Amino acid sequence: MIFPILKRLFMAVPVLLIVASLTFLLVRIVPGGPFDSEKSLPPEIVANLNAKYHLDKPVHEQYVLYIGRLCRGDLGVSYKYVNRTVNDILFDAFPVSCQLGFVALFLSVAFGVPLGAVAALGRGGRQDFLAMFVSTLGVSVPGFVIGAGLIYIFAIQLKLLPVGLWESPWHVILPAVTLAFSPGAYLARLTRASVLEIVEKDWVRTARSKGLSYQATVLRHILRNSLIPVVTVLGPLTAIVITGSFVVEYIYAIPGMGRFFITAVMNRDYDLILGTTLVFALLLVIANTFVDVAYQLLDPRMRMNAED
Amino acid sequence: MSEKRKSALQRLSKIPTAMVGLFIILSICLVALLSGLGIELTPFAYDQTTTSYLAGPSLEHPMGTDELGRDLLSRVIYGARLSISIGLTTALTAFLIGSVYGAIAGFAGSKIDGLMMRGVDIAYSLPDLLVMILAGVLLGRGTTGILIALGLVSWMGTARLVRGQFLQLKNEEFIEAAYAQGQSSVNVILKHLLPNALGPIIVALTFTVPSAILSESTLSFIGLGLSPPACSWGTLASDGWRSLRAHPHLIFFPSLFIFLTVLSFNFLGDGLRDALDPRTRLDKFKGGSGH
Repeated sequence: MIFPILKRLFMAVPVLLIVASLTFLLVRIVPGGPFDSEKSLPPEIVANLNAKYHLDKPVHEQYVLYIGRLCRGDLGVSYKYVNRTVNDILFDAFPVSCQLGFVALFLSVAFGVPLGAVAALGRGGRQDFLAMFVSTLGVSVPGFVIGAGLIYIFAIQLKLLPVGLWESPWHVILPAVTLAFSPGAYLARLTRASVLEIVEKDWVRTARSKGLSYQATVLRHILRNSLIPVVTVLGPLTAIVITGSFVVEYIYAIPGMGRFFITAVMNRDYDLILGTTLVFALLLVIANTFVDVAYQLLDPRMRMNAED
Repeated sequence: MSEKRKSALQRLSKIPTAMVGLFIILSICLVALLSGLGIELTPFAYDQTTTSYLAGPSLEHPMGTDELGRDLLSRVIYGARLSISIGLTTALTAFLIGSVYGAIAGFAGSKIDGLMMRGVDIAYSLPDLLVMILAGVLLGRGTTGILIALGLVSWMGTARLVRGQFLQLKNEEFIEAAYAQGQSSVNVILKHLLPNALGPIIVALTFTVPSAILSESTLSFIGLGLSPPACSWGTLASDGWRSLRAHPHLIFFPSLFIFLTVLSFNFLGDGLRDALDPRTRLDKFKGGSGH
């Protein structure tokens, strides 16, 4: 059981190396450097800055230097946030994004799964139509529209909740709700499909025919089993939350990974782009590995296959 | 075949959400097209001589005006052209790349297929927006750059579908019969395999349009997509965001149209899927009360 997990985690190393190399190439082959926009800088100073950060060396030497630093866990320095290393920035930003992401995931599970179950149990009827209508609404409204709407209603008009930055638990509510919409709608559709499949199973009929009440069948047999797919889509869910965080952290001015990624791209802050991308890639790899392991734990048939 | 398609269309016409979606899409397209054929639009006409800049909705300007006094309705209609063109072009790109890639994988089978699909799996697991932002660093922030970036992230679904359909269909008897008639592989792919896989592909492409519109507007909104003077719903919303507090109408109307369009395409896609997929039809039949 332990061995396949270790094997999968070990396989993540080349994946991350490929991501690092591709991103490195991408940001270095484009014209324009991090010190281009500062027009006031005399050319000598730009040359000195480039020399200090080894930007004057040929690309392949920079690459070797970069990979060497990566292996020591050093992600480099930010060119824009003076005197801050990328490690520092990520160390501060990562927990912020994690909090936001986890609260949003929790909300999306708490609302999405029941919504999908309600839809499936009333299949073809009014509650199915309504629940699916709501979930289609959820995937059709862009994150920035939800964000702007929530800010306008709850912060500007009603003055109930604070907006911007990341200071108190109150600051978490609006961003987390905004971020939860899209994964919530995704989960609702997924749960609906999985409940529809389970309702047809023989053992559900058995449970009913041995005299178990409708409620008990739904709670103990159907819902519990329909949660399995929720665990197994953690990969796509992580991707959805990462994508959403770009917009949400931008709108609410939250000092998280998504915000730093976007400003890094705007500023051509090479090492920060690379650092944030690597952390995102690492998160995705971990999520997908977790899914593989969860599959094996939840479904004995998969375990047999893995040991072959 | 035509009989089959006809009944699918008939089923589609009985799904109210899909028909409402189709109606909204056609109306928006019609208005966007007609605006090029006579109706006078003033998306770029400044009007700062009067006090009519940043005006709220009125009879003269149904959606109000922006900070330069430009009529927002004109700009939203103008933006519809760009946003919808981006959506449709992306669907076309996804269809071309996806079906060629999927056809090769599904037709070749075995090792080549395995390798090609592994590539799709990896590409599929990457967040679209992350890839698009990184690609944008290289491609720039013009319309062409955005279109390439969108094409880059949206072909995988079609590739998977085409490949799956090909694997399933290529051992059918009618394919064997086509070969027996002496038809070439290319002919078999184009005339027999692809047309039979068309249903699911159309459904997938219907969902590609709204997701492309969403991606473009999101990118433009966070400042990494199109930027003025380009005028899409995304750039309009981005403009409006800056004056949310004082002039919410500037973000409201572009957002409303993004939402309406995306919602309509999603409903149409859902409807098409239900109309084409016999399994969900069975569900409806069993679950429906009146049948």
